[in-house]
Amino acid sequence: MTVSVDLPQGALELLILKAISLGPLHGYGILLRIQQISGDRLEILQGSFYPAIYRLESRGWITGEWGESDNKRRARFYRLTAAGRRQFKAESQRWNDMAGLVANILSVAPGEV
Amino acid sequence: MSVFARVRTWWKAVAHRESVRQQVETELEFHIEARAEDLIRCGLSEDVAWRLARAEIGRPDNQNEIYRSAIGLRLFDEVGGDLRYGLRRLLRNPAFSAVAVSSLAIGIGATTAMFSLIYAVLLHPFPYANANRIVNPVIVNEEHPKALTWFAMTRSQFTTLSNANCIESLLGFSGANAEITGGALPEDVFAVYLTENAGSFFGVHPLLGRNIQPSDAQGGGQAEVVLNYRFWERHYHGDRAAIGRTLQVNHRNYTIIGVMPRAFAFNDTVGVGDIYLPHSLEPNSVYIPWIKIRRGVSLAKSDAELGAIVHQFARETPQHFPKEFHLQLQSIVVPYQQHTGRTLYLLLAGVLLVLLIGCANCSVLLLARGAARRHELAMRRALGASRWRIVRQLMVEALVISFTGAALGVAASWWLAELPMRLARSSFPAESVVRINLPILAFSVAVALTCGILFGLAPALSLSRPGLASAIQSTVHRIPGQHGHRKLNVLIGAQAAFTLLLMATGAMAIGSFLRVTHIPLGYNPHHVLNAGIMTHFTDPAVGVATKSRTSRTAYFEQIRQRIASVPGVLSVGISIDVYPPYSGSEQKFEMLGRSSAQDQDARVLEVGQNFHSTLQIPLRNGRIWDETENQRGDGVAVVNHAFAERYAPQENPVGLQIRLPDLVSHAPLVADSPASAGWRTIIGVVGDIPDDGLGRPVLPAVYVPYTTMLPPYAQFNIRTKGNPLSYMHALRGAVASVASDQQISRGASSLDSVLAHDPQWSRQRLFSILFGTFSAMALLLALVGIFSVVSYSVEQRTSEFGIRMALGASRTHILWMAARTIVVSAAAGIAVGVITDLSLSRILGQWMNNQSARGDGLFAVTLLLAVCAVAACLIPAGRAATIHPVDALRTE
Repeated sequence: MTVSVDLPQGALELLILKAISLGPLHGYGILLRIQQISGDRLEILQGSFYPAIYRLESRGWITGEWGESDNKRRARFYRLTAAGRRQFKAESQRWNDMAGLVANILSVAPGEV
Repeated sequence: MSVFARVRTWWKAVAHRESVRQQVETELEFHIEARAEDLIRCGLSEDVAWRLARAEIGRPDNQNEIYRSAIGLRLFDEVGGDLRYGLRRLLRNPAFSAVAVSSLAIGIGATTAMFSLIYAVLLHPFPYANANRIVNPVIVNEEHPKALTWFAMTRSQFTTLSNANCIESLLGFSGANAEITGGALPEDVFAVYLTENAGSFFGVHPLLGRNIQPSDAQGGGQAEVVLNYRFWERHYHGDRAAIGRTLQVNHRNYTIIGVMPRAFAFNDTVGVGDIYLPHSLEPNSVYIPWIKIRRGVSLAKSDAELGAIVHQFARETPQHFPKEFHLQLQSIVVPYQQHTGRTLYLLLAGVLLVLLIGCANCSVLLLARGAARRHELAMRRALGASRWRIVRQLMVEALVISFTGAALGVAASWWLAELPMRLARSSFPAESVVRINLPILAFSVAVALTCGILFGLAPALSLSRPGLASAIQSTVHRIPGQHGHRKLNVLIGAQAAFTLLLMATGAMAIGSFLRVTHIPLGYNPHHVLNAGIMTHFTDPAVGVATKSRTSRTAYFEQIRQRIASVPGVLSVGISIDVYPPYSGSEQKFEMLGRSSAQDQDARVLEVGQNFHSTLQIPLRNGRIWDETENQRGDGVAVVNHAFAERYAPQENPVGLQIRLPDLVSHAPLVADSPASAGWRTIIGVVGDIPDDGLGRPVLPAVYVPYTTMLPPYAQFNIRTKGNPLSYMHALRGAVASVASDQQISRGASSLDSVLAHDPQWSRQRLFSILFGTFSAMALLLALVGIFSVVSYSVEQRTSEFGIRMALGASRTHILWMAARTIVVSAAAGIAVGVITDLSLSRILGQWMNNQSARGDGLFAVTLLLAVCAVAACLIPAGRAATIHPVDALRTE
């Protein structure tokens, strides 16, 4: 089942970083890979996708280079920079901590408090 | 996040705008293609697949905007758009722009010039490294606390002082008159001997060669000399090859090792040196200190430490110090702050007023023109612009005007800042060089920004006011009494008030300057040279030959005769201490047969028998002494008119006996006549000449023969045919023909140039020229403001006037209607200005140092401003009154 959700602040960026961390990709490829990883359960709102890419690039976390796609067309491939790799690590750590915390709180049963 | 990456992205987006746009579009096109191909693969028809792909991601030609907004360039792009729009508007209304920009350029130019002058004179006058830590230790005599003096030390005292804890570096110097020998004629120069740490103490990079350095102390001082810039220009005509040449001073050869830059003019304590030499050459000479305080040590703390040391010195060498004193460490800039600070702050206040008037003018123009833009702005609002967005656009337009004005103003200030320096050179430190530098540019940018906000904000807020839906229709109905009129009236009133204030001050300055220049001097200063001659009393042969009073008199008389025989010289007088407009010294006197109950003071002037005739001072009564009486020195005196008026009002002073008990000197170099303090008969009365400064009352004066108390120095007052300075060479030759080494002292100058350099005179001239210019600028700006407001309002109300005239209103009524509000606000402004001026006049008068009556000037400028303001109203208003009613109704 495909769901179209408003991702929380920063989540889309984190997903993009994750997608690229597996290997250089062009914009459309990133989109596909995120969908693929999510098992096609997540559809990204496309209006916010490219601005997120532009923001990441302007912050120096990813960098784009022109190359040739599988179908022999000019496409822009993105890869992580050293700063981006650090940022990705820190962000995913933060995300996991928070998610774990929230999950813990939510799993509390009535008698346990 | 890396700032560097962000800046790089911005830079690429701004500098390579087009290629970035293409890349963004290409990227998106690829995305759409790839998506469409996938969709086709999934079984959609080509047509539908493409449509869907496009609909999902958006149009490539919009993507660039999304890109720029995502990387944070949105504000930049919008402001850039406003900026371009503002510039376009400026270019489309050249008359408006020219008036607005030049209003500001005048104000900003003058303000920047004044600030750069203040910067050069008060904030950063010296070229020395860490000049803010250099102090001049002065001695405050407890008996005369106002007379500050420097003090001298011996070599061992200098060493003691330099070891004080608070001192980072200590400079010792002394000055002496010397002469350049070896040329055709001897030339007088002032030599300053500097301790050999001078180079590091000053930290000033020499223009050529090097400064004095510690190794120059070796072998009793190396025979080396560093030249002052002005001396180098004068003596070597700025020849760069002067380095390494030999300069003969007092018959001894010195190698020229360096030339200092123009800004280096050490120093004010003993006099600016022409040449600088190692102090070790003069081991017996004194050391006058300049101190560089250690960083972080307070003046008070240093004062306490050094005070104790200096009092110890006073016990060792009491002849160098007054009996009761304390030490005061004075930052080297203090004397100039005291002398020039007020002048400059007054001028700064003047230019700030001009700037305010210029800003008010821009506000007025923007507000008045805003009425015509109402429609455009309302349309923008209707299309969804926020109020903030409109205010921002209007502010950007205002800033475009103010920065254009600032650019022009800064260019003009380059020249303007030099003006006060040229007009009153003697009021500023010799080292001050005015230049445009970073602090000054920062200042003018700040001024431009402030001005833009100052004059732009009121119109922007008023024009962007919400609820102007009706304004869209206002092209049809131009209704009188719109928003912003009250603001306009206040601005016009304020302009009038400021202008009046400036004009009144200008009138006061000009009035007092005219008064100073039109006082009858009582003597004729044109074509008279004042040349000093110092005998070589230190030279054993000359010293003995001119030691006695008679031989010294004979020597001076011989020189006088030689000078008189130079062709073109009309007359030669001798005097000792007479430098009109300042002369002589104050002394007590007694009059035979009168009780000296009350203090009787007079200036005592020592002159020769030809002095009065040379200066063309009229003889009122009696006679002047002859040559024999002059040589005797005793028994005769001549008084001035002021003396006769004050001390012998009812009688003929000729024949009265007076005595000057203090007219004796025990100084070893001065030769007194046998009965110099004895009774003298007044044999004549002469006219008054200023003896206490220009524009001040003439003090009673007693003239006695110069041989009464004769120092080894005399001045020759030489009246010539034509410019006296053109005779300098011939005069030098005539003097040297008496004794081959005898030179004319430095600083020989004509009496009229002495007047022109008089601080009082040049200050008054500076004030009158500058404030005259400021008031003219202010008047012009204010008139332009009034004129444009009335013109705009007439334009706006043409149809209303048409209706009124069609209904039978008379032309005079229309004229009055068009001009009324502005005439009333200008009149109110003038009234406020007059009141302010009257309440400020006492303070201003003190600051400008003048005593003239302010009333006449104030009345005249009020009248002038009122007439001009009414004219500026009536000319555009007259257009309204002469327009034909039918034409007026058709203007819509």
